[in-house]
Amino acid sequence: MPTDPQTVGQAGDSGAAPEAVPEQLSNGSEHGPWYLAYKRFLRNRVAVAFLILFFLIVVFVLAAPIWASDVAHTGPNDTHTLEKLHYDGEGHDVVNPAGQPLGPVLFKAGGKFFLGADSRLGRDEMVRLMYGGRISLFIGVVSGLITTLLAVILGLLAGYYKGWVDAVIARTLDVLWSLPVFLIGLALGISLAVGGLKIGPLELSSGSIWNPILVISIFSVPYIARPIRGEVLALGEKEFVEAAVAQGASPLRVMFAEILPNLASTIIVFFTLSIAANMLFEAGLSFLGAGVQPPNSSWGTMISIGEELLTTQPLLAIIPGVMIMLTVLSLNIVGDGLRDALDPKDR
Amino acid sequence: MYTLRKVVAIACITPLAGFGVAACGGDKGAGGGGGGGGDINVALTSFPDYVDPQLSYTVEGWEVLWNVYTPLLTYKHAKGKEGTQVVPGLAEKMPDISPDGKTYKLKLRPNMKYSDGTSIKASDFTYGIQRLFKADSGGSVFFDVIVGAKDYADGKANTISGIKTDDNTGDITIELTEANGTFENVLGLMFAAPVPPSTPLDKDATNSPPPSSGPFMISKVDAPRTMTLERNPNFKTVKDAGADEVAGANVDKITVTENKNNSAQVTDIEQNKVDFMADPPASDRLQEVKTRYGSRFRMEQSINTYYFWMNTQTAPFNDIKVRQAINYAVDPEALERIYSGGLAATHQILPEGIPGHKPLNLYPHNLAKAKEMLKEANPSDMDITVWTDTESPNNEAGEYYESVLKELGFNTKLKIINADNYFTIIGNKTTPDLDTGWSDWYEDYPHPNDFFQPLLAGESILPTNNGNFANIDEPKLNKEIAKLSEEQLGPEQEAAYAELDKKYMELAPWIPYGQRTLTTFVASNINLENIITNPTFFQYLTSFEFK
Repeated sequence: MPTDPQTVGQAGDSGAAPEAVPEQLSNGSEHGPWYLAYKRFLRNRVAVAFLILFFLIVVFVLAAPIWASDVAHTGPNDTHTLEKLHYDGEGHDVVNPAGQPLGPVLFKAGGKFFLGADSRLGRDEMVRLMYGGRISLFIGVVSGLITTLLAVILGLLAGYYKGWVDAVIARTLDVLWSLPVFLIGLALGISLAVGGLKIGPLELSSGSIWNPILVISIFSVPYIARPIRGEVLALGEKEFVEAAVAQGASPLRVMFAEILPNLASTIIVFFTLSIAANMLFEAGLSFLGAGVQPPNSSWGTMISIGEELLTTQPLLAIIPGVMIMLTVLSLNIVGDGLRDALDPKDR
Repeated sequence: MYTLRKVVAIACITPLAGFGVAACGGDKGAGGGGGGGGDINVALTSFPDYVDPQLSYTVEGWEVLWNVYTPLLTYKHAKGKEGTQVVPGLAEKMPDISPDGKTYKLKLRPNMKYSDGTSIKASDFTYGIQRLFKADSGGSVFFDVIVGAKDYADGKANTISGIKTDDNTGDITIELTEANGTFENVLGLMFAAPVPPSTPLDKDATNSPPPSSGPFMISKVDAPRTMTLERNPNFKTVKDAGADEVAGANVDKITVTENKNNSAQVTDIEQNKVDFMADPPASDRLQEVKTRYGSRFRMEQSINTYYFWMNTQTAPFNDIKVRQAINYAVDPEALERIYSGGLAATHQILPEGIPGHKPLNLYPHNLAKAKEMLKEANPSDMDITVWTDTESPNNEAGEYYESVLKELGFNTKLKIINADNYFTIIGNKTTPDLDTGWSDWYEDYPHPNDFFQPLLAGESILPTNNGNFANIDEPKLNKEIAKLSEEQLGPEQEAAYAELDKKYMELAPWIPYGQRTLTTFVASNINLENIITNPTFFQYLTSFEFK
């Protein structure tokens, strides 16, 4: 689910906006604020450790094609229901006649079926975990980008123009915020998964991963746009904005050249946190059949498949669950670390 | 109209996650022992759709109500092929059929009473058939063939002119518009069970079901949670009238309770809290049940066919070579594993247990040959959409099928549709990209015609609610189906149906891959050996008894 802005620690509608990040800190340092933030972030060892963990996860999923072609020798959707795997001097059914998939084999078969088979279809669980992670991360990052972009634009427009523009945008966000997001996302996800989407030139086929991206992106917008609107409202009262207006700067220039740079730290933090939240959203939708569509895997679909074999092969659900947990946890801690580093007064 | 039954049949054999319903163990002390009385508790994953003999059209409904309502004809109280035999029920004997096959004469046994003491009359049969049409029953299609039925349904007539009854003599005469070789089977369905005129004509009677004419009566209904069946005190009058083929009850009371959590049902049976679960154990617990409770569990044959259809009217499946190649490529043995051993691999239309079944496999698995044939066919259109539903393991069967097609070089797109809407969507001709996909078929009644007429005859191709998903329309074979449907089933007809099976498989509109098996799993003090499982109506609850 999208992150509650109250837990993020940024100023919301009612809170006071943080001061604009000064060009130079008053302690006389030669370094700029970004460098100082970077140094502060490095001092947060927990955040750094989880950033490293996140990079390791990214490397792990990016290595999927190499592992699939050079180690597992199979693709993520290739079925091996009737095949036997030879190790320990004997042949083992990838799926036994009772429909039970092979458990983790580790390196006994040279890395093939390292984590066993995923289901009665006999697909390599490790390969699917790596490819599924790519899809989960891709959806998280891309929907995070779209959400953040839409939220920044709407927040700037609403906070700068105020009046009826603010009223329309703010109330629309209120409506979106008040909706049972997951249930509507679920219904929309199922609908798009069946029929795809065609609006003018925009055409998404059923089963496209852009369907869950679209659903997640739209429903996550209020969770970022509202606090950004609040910040823009506060920044709009600052002298540097008034000075820019007095010098005849156009509204677009004021919004994007004067106010936007001062939102950078907030945007970075929210973007990081929205990736984590959107990955959880995707996992939930996919678990319920409204996200990534078979035969493609995501960590959410893998938990869904593993759930049916929970009593006999619990690892099939636990491993992708742990991967989601580690990724989301690392992004949340990194996000908190970035917030502390970029805005130390808000600690 | 078969679809509803089909969909729920699929659902019933699929483990569903959900919440559990605590069920109490049977009262074995109350007259138990040696088959003489006692109370049993039965768990169902889905409650019957209706507690009404004219409306119920699900496996769950038929399994329970079969013990309550007896039609004029019925099915032999036996397992296997013997259980497909139609025998007299409330009628004195099998019908006299006129030489042209259009007139059926039956006689109701005398002096029979419903559970509430009302006399069972010949005109109650007419009333039951009228209810089918007025209450919009899914079973009404089977009775369209009666003269005047359509006019009655359309409101153009007050009665069905093709049914004449005499309450004094018990005579019943039914006139058909054309000869129909399956009509005896149809008369054996609960749709045709007589009910008294006190039953609402045009409404569902679930909350106040009509009185019983079978061994049990319904004493309490709390739909869709639970219902209770107790011995029918007036069933003696049915037996005294000579209805020997209708089995009496062994236990005194049956409590049927819905429990959506299949795994919880397994645990309840293991702990003897529930005496019988109608649905198979969840696939991840099947092995545990088989190994630890082998003496309380057995697999049961069921008459059905699971298959993939190919739309014969559009490329690339309008090329017989492409269809035959894919038949060689699909391996039913792989699908046996996908169904966790709960499916017997077959490669023909008629399943084992149905009259006319003759083992056939024209396409033994051979991927190399499939690729070679496909190369020769050189289809112009390689982009195809593969359809399946969300129920496990049918969704996995669809994924397997898609992977096979991909291996053959097709560019595939998999569409997995919610099981509640699946057949509606693929049965609607306006749905785009209906290229190929999964389906199954559970018989309505044990007659081979029920596997050809609705699924493969050209006249069954409909704009909506289409059952002929392959859209195959072969005039010569259509005529054979029509001709056979008019004839009474005998050895000659059975051989003709077996030949029809072969002819269709040569045309390869389907890739049949198996026949699903059902299960019986009971508490430790239930006598498993004596439980009779009918291929159409599944477990006869009348055959349940304590050890």
